[in-house]
This record gives sequence, structure tokens and C-alpha cells, in this order.
Amino acid sequence: MSFTFSTFVQQIINGLSLGSVYALIAVGYSLVYSILLFSNFAHGGFLVVGGYACYYLLTQWGYSVPFSMLGALLASGLTAVVTERLAYKPIRERTPITLYLLIASMGVNIIIENLFVVTVGGRIRALPRSTFPTGVFNLWEGITISSSDVLSLVTAVIFLSLLQLFLSRTRWGLAIRAAACDIKTAGLMGVNVTFLISLVFFVAGVLAAVGGVFLSVRYSLYPQLGNITTKAFVAAVIGGLGSLPGAVAGSLILGLAEMLTAGFISSQMRDLVVYSLLVIMLLISPAGFFGKKISEKI
Amino acid sequence: MSKILLEARGLCVNYGAIQALAGFSLKLFENEIVSVIGANGAGKSTFMNALMGMVKISKGEIFLDSYPLSRHNYKIVRSGLSLVPEGRRVFSSLTVEENLKIGAFTRKDKTEIKNDYEWVFSLFPILQERLKQYAGTLSGGEQQMLAIARALMARPKILLLDEPSLGLAPIVIQGIFKELKRINEQGVSILLVEQNAKQALLLSHRAYVLQTGRLLKEGASKDLLEDSDIKSAYLGHGA
Ligand SMILES: Nc1ncnc2c1ncn2[C@@H]1O[C@H](COP(=O)(O)OP(=O)(O)OP(=O)(O)O)[C@@H](O)[C@H]1O
Ligand SMILES: [Mg+2]
Repeated sequence: MSFTFSTFVQQIINGLSLGSVYALIAVGYSLVYSILLFSNFAHGGFLVVGGYACYYLLTQWGYSVPFSMLGALLASGLTAVVTERLAYKPIRERTPITLYLLIASMGVNIIIENLFVVTVGGRIRALPRSTFPTGVFNLWEGITISSSDVLSLVTAVIFLSLLQLFLSRTRWGLAIRAAACDIKTAGLMGVNVTFLISLVFFVAGVLAAVGGVFLSVRYSLYPQLGNITTKAFVAAVIGGLGSLPGAVAGSLILGLAEMLTAGFISSQMRDLVVYSLLVIMLLISPAGFFGKKISEKI
Repeated sequence: MSKILLEARGLCVNYGAIQALAGFSLKLFENEIVSVIGANGAGKSTFMNALMGMVKISKGEIFLDSYPLSRHNYKIVRSGLSLVPEGRRVFSSLTVEENLKIGAFTRKDKTEIKNDYEWVFSLFPILQERLKQYAGTLSGGEQQMLAIARALMARPKILLLDEPSLGLAPIVIQGIFKELKRINEQGVSILLVEQNAKQALLLSHRAYVLQTGRLLKEGASKDLLEDSDIKSAYLGHGA
């Protein structure tokens, strides 16, 4: 009995840690969705760029951890901005149909993935052990939390709080919220919408990079690492597309569901549970927990 | 004679094969209220959107204070044009206060902005009572007031309004048009587009009649109110 209970607590901790990484990815993805109303499948690519930037800054060029992290965030943020300018902006200006953007984003994702396969190879890499603290804290009767879990939780909370402050307290944050409601009318307020969209992509890219680095630590780094964003997409849909609190809630639910399944049923059932949750959510409440009602979107 | 504030010369706008504006010209003098009236699909909204840089002009020129007007939407707002769009389009998931705040997006003059809050509250006192309410939960008339107040927060030289009477009860329309007159008396020039021709002509100094993208007639509003063609075509079933 006590074994089961400690497994339960242990898996809750693991679930929150995983969920916090999903949240970083899902929030950026949801932010882009809220403004442009399409699923940006290149989001996984941004994350991979962040992961590799961090890896090379650390190992090849020998920079410090904070500097490499910063470099990763910038690399990923800029990749997102450039992607938007080169691939999405021309489409946006020609057609209001967002399906084309979605298809383009799938293409960009494949391009980024394959650029890494071609240039650095497909082999699996690990960030050097010294990168992040590796200690494990014993919390209580065999329940442990690793330093990297603590770090990823704390970092996620910090970045998500910063995002929240940015959106609720600043002039551009207000502009982004207005644009999420009605982007054309935001333009009528004198907001430079082209700049606003770049800003949103930059923020999304930065958050993806944070997620990318922590995923590289938790698992490992390889060109297809971005595929894990599918989970973040699912989380965002469960929480309600376009809603940031929804993306966070959905991510935590997903992280917990995965880890509890792994702890009590079997690790192989994780994905089955995740996608079952998605289907059930879509059947019960297609707009997710916090999603805008469809009528509001029209 | 006061000076020309805004001038559009021979504006053409095409949507694919459809020509929505076919060489429309208009002048707005300082402190003037000008209305553009016309039936559904005449090109009124297209004209407003062309002025605001929201649709591409295929031919023609626009001058503000005799300088060419930028074609970039955000620069146009900065240079003094502010539109109350057709259908109000308040930001429904933002509060009334946030809607007003974003209206002042282009401005940095904090104390002046504060005074302008007082100004719009004096025009539309109901907004002050609803500051923390989500704009989407306001009534239609209140939303229209908010949309006008939001546009005024940009401190425009020219306030552009696209069918402010749309979907509102006559009594509410009366109230809003009364405030428009006050706004004009406080030094804001107004360009008004309306299907509700009678209200528009009663308020404005001069008017243009637009028909399928072309000018049909222009003149002093009080003359157009008496014009027999206009009477039968646009004022027939007016209130
Ligand atoms: N985005 C668009 N794409 C294609 N055609 C358009 C578009 N917008 C307007 N039109 C067409 O251009 C013409 C003028 O439209 P506009 O909206 O300017 O008319 P309006 O005078 O504002 O009408 P209403 O009084 O109904 O608002 C119409 O024939 C309309 O169908
Ligand atoms: Mg119209």
C-alpha cells in the first residue's frame, strides 16, 4: 500500500516536470495559433534549432551554460521570425485561407529536420553531463526528485510568468491580446501588425528553445526531437486552442496522465492514453477546457 | 475659407475582377463633417478602408494637409486618421478599459492620454461605469459608443465612421449623432459613411453620393436633403 502511494507521488512529480516542458512548447504554439489561426507544425523545428544551438555552443565552442542557453533561445527565436517572413508572410498576404499556412509549416518542419540530418547527421547526441546539475534529492521514503526536474519546473514557471507579465502589463502585450481577438482591427489601432506577428513568433521560438534544451537533457538530442511537439499540440487542443492558460493546464494534465500510466499500467500505454484523452476531449468539448466558443471566433 | 485637410483624388480599388471604387474623389475641409451616402455595395466601406491603408489602391492619390498620405496602416493612424469600423469591432475579450487603452496605442503623452479618458467619459458616461466589463458583454449601442471612444483615444485629426447607426434603435442613433456633433465642435473633423442618409445629411455640412464606385452627386447636405432624386432614392423610407 505504501509502495503504491509513494509510486503515485513519485509519478505526480515526474508528471509535473514533464508537463512543464510540454507547457513551454504548447504555450508558444498556442500563442501563434491565437493570432494567425493555424497550427504551426514548424514549432518542433524551432525547438530542434534551440537544442542544437545549445549543444554546439557548449561542446564545440566551449561557452558557459548560461551563454549557451541564451544563444539557443536567440537562435530559435530568430529561426521562428525568419520562417514567418520567408514562408508564411507571402502566403498570408495572398490568401486568407489558413490551410495553406498549415501545409507550409509542415514543409518547413521537414526542411529543418533534414537540414540537421544532412549537416550534422542523424546520430543521437547528449548534452554534456556537466551541463546541468545531476543530483537527486530524496524527498521522503524513496520519493525522489532530480535536480534537472527541479530546474525544468522552476525554469518553466519563470518563463511562463514572464510571458504572463509581458502579455498583461505591457503595451505590446495588450496589442497581442487585441490581435488575438481581431487582428485587422488591431491594425486599425495603429499597431504595426507585421512587427507584432514577428514578435509573437520570436516569443514562441524562445519558449520552444527552452523546451528543446530540457527535452535534450531529459531524453537526448536528434533531428526528429521536434516530433515530440505533437504532444504539446495535443495538450494545447485539450486545454483549448489559442488559450494560454488552457495550454498550461492541458500540458500538466498530459504530463500527469503519461507518468501515472507509466507508473501504474505500463510505459508502453503512455501514448495510447494521451490520444484517448484527446479523442474524449474532442467528443465532449471540442473547444477544450478554456477554448473560445466557436461562435466567438466568427 | 478654411483649408483642405484630406483630399482623395480619383481613387480606384479592385477586388479581383470587381471594381469597387472607380475614380472617386473627395475633399474634407478643416472642422468639417462630410458624409458619404450610398446603397449596399456602393463602395463606402471600401473607400474608408482605402483611406486607412487596409485595402490596396490601384489608382489615385490621397493627401493629408497636402502631403501624400502613407499607405502603411500604422503610419496613417499616427498621422491623424482614426476609423470606427463597420460593425463596431470592439475587442470582445478585452475590458472596456483595455479597449480604450489600445485606442491610444500610438501615443506616448501620458498626461494627455489621461485627459482624453476624461474627455471620452464626458461624451459617453456609461463607459466609465463599465470600465472593468468585457467589451463583448456590452449592448450594441454601448459597443458603438466604445468603438467611437476607442477611436478618439488616438486623438485623431479626422474621425472616420463607417455606418455608426448600423443595427441600433432610432433613439440610440439620435444620442450617438448628438455626440458626434459635440466631438466635431471640439475640433475633430469627421468623415461619415452611412446608409441612413437622412441622419447623415442632417448632421453633415457637405455630402457625396456614391453609386457603384462612382460619384453620383455632391453638395451641401441641406441642398441634398431637398434634392428630388436623392429624396426618392435614399430618403424615401427614412425616419
Ligand atoms: N474583400 C472583398 N472581396 C471581394 N469583393 C469585395 C470585398 N469587399 C467588398 N467587395 C465588393 O465591393 C463592392 C463594394 O463593397 P463595400 O463593402 O465597399 O460596399 P458598402 O458601400 O460599404 O456596402 P454596405 O452598405 O453594404 O456596407 C461590393 O460589390 C462588394 O461585394
Ligand atoms: Mg459598408
